[in-house]
Amino acid sequence: MMKIFTAAAKELLLLQRDRAGLLVLFIMPAILVVVITLVQENVMELTGQKTTRVLFLDQDKGELGVSLQKYLANGHLEIVAWDKKQKDIAAMRAAVTNGDYQVGIVVPAGSSARFHRETARLLQKNARREKGSSGALIPVRVFFDPGIMPGLRSGITAQLQMALQTIAMEAKIEALERMLKGLMARLGVPPEFTPLPGPGLSRRLGQPLLTLENSQVSSRPTGTSPYNPVQQNVPAWALFGMFFTAIPIAGAILQERKSGIWIRLTSLPVSPLLLFTGKILAYIGVCLCQFLLIGLIGSFLFPHIGLPAFTVSRNPAGVLLIVLFSSLAACGYGIFLGMICSTYEQASTLGATTVVAAAAIGGVMVPVYAMPRVMQRLSTISPLNWGLTAFHDLLMRGNALPAILDDLGRLAIFFLLTILLSWKLAQIRR
Amino acid sequence: MKTTASPVEEQELNYAIMARSLVKRYKNTASPALNNFNLRVQKGEFFGLLGPNGAGKTTAIAILSGLFPPDSGTVLIMGTEFRRQPNKIKQISGLVPQDIALYDQLTARENLVFFGRLYGLSGQKLQDRIARCLELVALTEHAARPVSTCSGGMKRRLNLAAGLLNDPQILFLDEPTAGIDAQSRHLIHEQLSELNRSGTTILYTTHYMEEAQELCSRVGIIDSGRLVKQGSPEKLLEQSGKRNLEDLFLHLTGKQLRDT
Repeated sequence: MMKIFTAAAKELLLLQRDRAGLLVLFIMPAILVVVITLVQENVMELTGQKTTRVLFLDQDKGELGVSLQKYLANGHLEIVAWDKKQKDIAAMRAAVTNGDYQVGIVVPAGSSARFHRETARLLQKNARREKGSSGALIPVRVFFDPGIMPGLRSGITAQLQMALQTIAMEAKIEALERMLKGLMARLGVPPEFTPLPGPGLSRRLGQPLLTLENSQVSSRPTGTSPYNPVQQNVPAWALFGMFFTAIPIAGAILQERKSGIWIRLTSLPVSPLLLFTGKILAYIGVCLCQFLLIGLIGSFLFPHIGLPAFTVSRNPAGVLLIVLFSSLAACGYGIFLGMICSTYEQASTLGATTVVAAAAIGGVMVPVYAMPRVMQRLSTISPLNWGLTAFHDLLMRGNALPAILDDLGRLAIFFLLTILLSWKLAQIRR
Repeated sequence: MKTTASPVEEQELNYAIMARSLVKRYKNTASPALNNFNLRVQKGEFFGLLGPNGAGKTTAIAILSGLFPPDSGTVLIMGTEFRRQPNKIKQISGLVPQDIALYDQLTARENLVFFGRLYGLSGQKLQDRIARCLELVALTEHAARPVSTCSGGMKRRLNLAAGLLNDPQILFLDEPTAGIDAQSRHLIHEQLSELNRSGTTILYTTHYMEEAQELCSRVGIIDSGRLVKQGSPEKLLEQSGKRNLEDLFLHLTGKQLRDT
């Protein structure tokens, strides 16, 4: 045991002297997690996962604008009234096009009056569209930020159309109610015998009978967070940084192999497995510190730069297990790289390429569900995906420890396989 | 039933190093690095292994010090076969490799602490051994210096010190004075002679004939993986009628360049 601690202490001492290497190990994932999360926070705005800001210009000042604002505000939209002094539509369009707002809505002047006229006309005998008008359609103008995703654009369009149809339907029912009441009065039917259900017919008919129930929201376990870039990126980039330790581990082994150190170590009464264990122990410590640093950035720095805070689930032991098993897999891979490569250049190039590729297909950069089907299948071979899936199971889905055992098992098998191969290579390279 | 060793076996047990019919062939090479290599070094001997580049010196030392096994043949160190008790043999032997086998970023002392602990030394015993080894190679005052800032001679001396940490009964040295100044070489010679006088068996490879003549009680000349001549320097010169070991060496191995 003392020999393992000696080997681990030597590794930490070497790392401590390699300031540049340490900076890369800790600063690189820290910078990445901040930058990527900020970038994705903006992407979430563009995809509608955050409240969408809608610029509203009511040139009409009538009922139509008020009703429309009321309906839209009930959705996932933040209505911002355009400066009343500045009625210029071109300036409003520029504000939307520049990306300051995602959507701009203009209710043209006279819309409410036309709307009332058109509603009343619908119930008149031989109803026909007015000459010179652009049909019975009363336009409500809308602009979209060209940068928003097509899905969000479709969603907002559907929401707007739904609001406009509801307003029109209510108006039509009110007009119909008025007409029927007049008809009953003219026929001399007392109000108590009228077949109409009483005042507020449009309100009653507007009451929803069917509803969509989002059972996921109501069943979300406490201590977990819905999907947001922080919950995705903090564990994802911490994993990326942890797997990047494979390169310094490989470098340390290659330095020993290229100098006479490996020969001396082989001549000592210690096995290569003991020396590997020392390295693993030291770098598990490094990986734990990396996760802690990234976690602290997520929890304490993010709220100060306008991002949601990273929250750890109710199961910190589970999180620790994922970090430990991911660290083991990363260390195993580093040792394997160090044994299979002949030069540091080979190890750093192969290591960086494979870790970035494994991160990309593993869902670190883009969530796996957003990938093509082939890539989704490929993602299952990435150790970063196993770690990330386990983190998602605990942090976002709120699952208990048994749910992550399969991913922990995969990480453990990967570690054992890489160590076994490295041990065999150590014997061959003697 | 207790078995008793035969007189021949008993004699073999008295050798510090015994190699019988060693063969080692590397991949993609035409001829074996060691070809029926036999060697017997008695306890307390200072044996020099001389040979041109590629003759098999480093391979011989690597197999004898347990770095890797031969393809065939047997190695006995202090009467124990390597395959049976490798760690026991490694515990009583020391290796000074041809390359500097030290961590550049660590200080001289940190290097010695690391290698000493891997030998199983600790506490005061480890500190005493480190102090003794540093004194032996005249590096006590430079113990806190990172190896990267040491001169070539200092690194060579520290390389030697690391091989002495376990106070080995057998010391394998692979060209330990290559590329260093006369002062450092002289110091290393003095200390090796002193170690040998105190009972350490030494197996030494070198390209410097005068060095072998000065230090070794017996030398062996290796060529093409075989020991072609062995004996005390004086006896070999007397038998061959050559003026010095270099003439004898060239006579036995030829003047043709080996690494072209």
